[in-house]
Amino acid sequence: MGKDVAFLAEFSDGSPSRSALELAAGAAQLARQSGGSAVALAYGLGAAGAAILGAAGATRAIVLSDRASPAIVNAAAAAAAVRAVAPLALLAPATSNGRDLAAALVGLLGLPAFGPVRAVTIEGGRVRTEQATLQGTVITVSEPSEGAPQPAVVLLLASTFNPIEGGTGSAAVAAAPASEADAFSAAVIVESHPADAAVANLEEASIIVAGGRGVGSADGFAPLHELAAALGGAVGASRAAADAGWVPYQLQIGQTGKVVKPALYVGCGISGAIQHRVGMQTAENVLAINKDPDAPIGEFADLFVVGDLFTIVPKLTAEIRRRKGI
Amino acid sequence: MKIVVCLKQVPTTTAEKRYTADLRLDRAAAEAVINPLDEYAIEQALRLQESGAVDAVGFLSMGPAPAAEALRRALAMGGDDATLVSDPALAGADAWATARVLAAALDRLAPDVALMGMASDDARGSLVPGAVAALRGMPLLSYGSELRIDGSVARVRRLTAAGFDIVEAPLPVVASVTDQVGEPRYASLKGIMAAKRKPMETWSLADLGLSADDLHGAALTRVVEARRPEAKAPTERVENMSADDAVTRIADWLSAKKLI
Repeated sequence: MGKDVAFLAEFSDGSPSRSALELAAGAAQLARQSGGSAVALAYGLGAAGAAILGAAGATRAIVLSDRASPAIVNAAAAAAAVRAVAPLALLAPATSNGRDLAAALVGLLGLPAFGPVRAVTIEGGRVRTEQATLQGTVITVSEPSEGAPQPAVVLLLASTFNPIEGGTGSAAVAAAPASEADAFSAAVIVESHPADAAVANLEEASIIVAGGRGVGSADGFAPLHELAAALGGAVGASRAAADAGWVPYQLQIGQTGKVVKPALYVGCGISGAIQHRVGMQTAENVLAINKDPDAPIGEFADLFVVGDLFTIVPKLTAEIRRRKGI
Repeated sequence: MKIVVCLKQVPTTTAEKRYTADLRLDRAAAEAVINPLDEYAIEQALRLQESGAVDAVGFLSMGPAPAAEALRRALAMGGDDATLVSDPALAGADAWATARVLAAALDRLAPDVALMGMASDDARGSLVPGAVAALRGMPLLSYGSELRIDGSVARVRRLTAAGFDIVEAPLPVVASVTDQVGEPRYASLKGIMAAKRKPMETWSLADLGLSADDLHGAALTRVVEARRPEAKAPTERVENMSADDAVTRIADWLSAKKLI
């Protein structure tokens, strides 16, 4: 029976992604519960430098590849590495890339899969996960069934674990065991189009100011950007605002966009439909500003301000600047 | 050129959900619909058929007998035929078992593209497309905001952290699409009538050459506890107040939470 906890560590442009640092911390925490080590399965451009994940919590790192490609092309190498390490659990980020690679491993190796989960523990050698299902109406606790193959594959939402600050040390790096090329490698990126302007990574933001239909236009987002800047946060949006073309789809929060867990979420002109709610309901503090006193967001916000966002948001920005002395 | 769209019947988003004594979702207790995100896959397939890129569109679902109703609704939107895989041994199937069964059914149907929605409304793991591709030894084109078929290759437009990519693979492929492919059509009355005459087959596990043992009792996972979420603190409402007073209240709240 394995005791190690493996995690998918995605690199891009030479550095570990935020999710790799979060999962390293999570794997280290779980490995202490299981009496094993945290092992990174590193891929993406810069993964050869996975030794730096030692400071983030990893004891060892296995390099699957060091190039920019869809994550799933690493499936055969990841499967070989999983067989060699025989971990008790494998943590994967609940991102498009992380889910694809995790799914390929579930199919190739016949593994139990969980998530996206909101908590995971290992007690007495048993992986237990806690998940909000059915749009958050039910919390279920699940575990691998008796005799299920290992590892348990666990999808984790952004910000479930916090990266270790000021860590030191380096992980022992090894190449992945040899594996045969498979059909996944036949999917190739034939064109890459960058965005017109820099797009914030909402999953890294601890404060998010989000706008919806009530913002009314692309220009309407200007006061939201100013409020976000005063708060030190980023701007997000509902699907309605992204569909209208007011913001890029990368900023969409919700069921088919990002699932975020900021310390503060400010919803401006967002009604709070269930599809949006599942993307932000684990925010620690929710402030909503909406002129409709019956908006559903008023039922689950911590502070619900009924009023015109174009009056309140600029005044709030000025007040925050005054109090912060900026 | 044939597409098979995989779809799942799920409880309506707003329905009251209950778990049975053995901690499975009581699907009989909730009104059921086609998983809303699968409707985008249906729409994408029908658009490809209308453009002439695809000759035939089939639908495939795994579920209890009432899931035939979801397939019938899909046939009312369009397409040619449907297959339901239904077996008492599949109750409580997890992502792996679902993928195993769909992969076996797709091997028989042998479409050029097996197309799925990006996630199910109830479980939201998004694991089935990748696991099916792995089991069938085929490339995966996932999270397409558009799917195109051009001769012997398929292409998706896929959102990235800062822009988008075009990802291409030779047919046959497994693909999934997002809610950006275009709003799903409504079934017309004519479509609903036509759907009644379209062929639908039901297969058991044995028909697919699988047994309950192959599926490890339908799941490698088990639910050990189901409960209601913790009650949230009540909302503080700020209304019928001047904008300046409202702003002061918000700023005080942010200060108290140490957010400014």
